[in-house]
This record gives sequence, structure tokens and C-alpha cells, in this order.
Amino acid sequence: MIEQRVSVASDAEQLPVLTRFLKEFWSAAGLPPAESARFELALEEVFMNVVMHGSAAPGTQVEVSVILRDGGLTLMVENDGPAFDPLLLPAPDVAASLEERKVGGLGVYLVRQMMDVVCYQRVAARNQLRMTKRLPTGGASPRVPPGV
Amino acid sequence: MIPEGRLDFGAATGFQAQLEQVLAGTRTALSAVIIDCAGLEYVSSAGLRVFLLAARTSQRAGLRFAICSLQPAVREVFELSGFSRVIAVHTDRAAALAPLPQGPA
Repeated sequence: MIEQRVSVASDAEQLPVLTRFLKEFWSAAGLPPAESARFELALEEVFMNVVMHGSAAPGTQVEVSVILRDGGLTLMVENDGPAFDPLLLPAPDVAASLEERKVGGLGVYLVRQMMDVVCYQRVAARNQLRMTKRLPTGGASPRVPPGV
Repeated sequence: MIPEGRLDFGAATGFQAQLEQVLAGTRTALSAVIIDCAGLEYVSSAGLRVFLLAARTSQRAGLRFAICSLQPAVREVFELSGFSRVIAVHTDRAAALAPLPQGPA
């Protein structure tokens, strides 16, 4: 098992720091490049939710962990603050017309589509969101994403 | 227009401003807005939002709006979000510029 952790302020300006952290972990662990964008997206959407939906007061920290275990990668995002479960956000209408389309809830929707498991827990007065996805082994058998 | 690299939360505002400038400045001479995404590696919901607003503005102005040459990671985001059903997506620039049958390809 490989685990790495980083802590940043709950501030949109910190997004590049998290992206860099994930990319460095990715190349150091030799993970398949084709899977990288899905985890980058999951990290961005969840982090921005924490920042924008006010679940973390200004100045609080957001902790991000990546855990590589048994052929799967888990991304965990934790923060202090009032309970906030992003999985309760209403799902977007992905069949709406151009005029009626909204972007609210789309980020979390994409994360759920891309990851195998997404779960929220309130642990010791902290919000904890875990996202896990199996990674293809050997790199020679790219998986066709669902719905394509 | 040719966006490059990452269209994440941080880059979305700049991209939106650029697109608005294109849409506002040359409206009289413009008949279509084609965004070539060959150099675009990554898009998040913040980036999708900009595409949505631009497509809507174009539609209201009577302009054709299309995107082309999507990399696999970007294509996946457009498909999962359902955006590829409301925004015309073409395989390459030639296809995007070709005289169109009405409606998204």
C-alpha cells in the first residue's frame, strides 16, 4: 500500500497545488496515464465543492489523501466545519436542452459516473468524502468507460 | 478558437472572457464559432460551464456553435455530462467547417 497526504487552505487558489500533488503521485507510482484525468476531475470537483459551498470556514484546512491498494486508488478529501454531504446535491438533468441546461450539481454527477465507489461520512466532526476506482492492470487493456 | 492545456476552475474565467470578446466583437462578420479542442487535455465542470454559456449566447445570436478534435479525456466529460447532445461535436476541423445539415452532427 502506498499512501500520501497533503493539506491546503480551503481556497480556490490552492487547486493547482492539489493537481500537482496528484500528478506527482501518479507518475511516481507509474499509474496508467489514461486514468489520470478522471482522478484530477474528482479532486477538483470535490475540493471546489468544499471551498464554494461554505462547508469550510475561511482559513480552515482541507486534507487530501491518495491511497493505492489492491489495484484500486482511493482519493479522500477531509475538512472541518459543519456537516456537508455533496452527494445529497440534486442530480442535474443531463437530457435538458441547451437553454434549460444548468451546471449546478454537474461536478459531483461526473465524479459519481467516473468512480466505482463514492461515499460520504461524518467522522469526528469532520467531513470525509472517499472516492475509489479500480485501475486497469498491466496497462494493455484500457477499459471502455460506461455510457460511451 | 483554440484553447490549450487545462480548462479547470482557475482557467475558466480567462477562457470565458476570451470567448465573450470573440462573440461580442465580431458579431456582424461571424456566422459560426468553432472551438478546436485538439490541444485541450482536461476539462472540469467549471470549463463545461463556459462552453454552455458560449453555446447559448451563440444560439441566441443566430450563430452556429461547434467544437471539434476532442481528446479522449475531454470527450468523456462531454459525453457523460450530456453536453455532446446539446453542443455539436465534430471529429476534426474540416468536419466542423463543412457545410452543415441543420442540427448537431
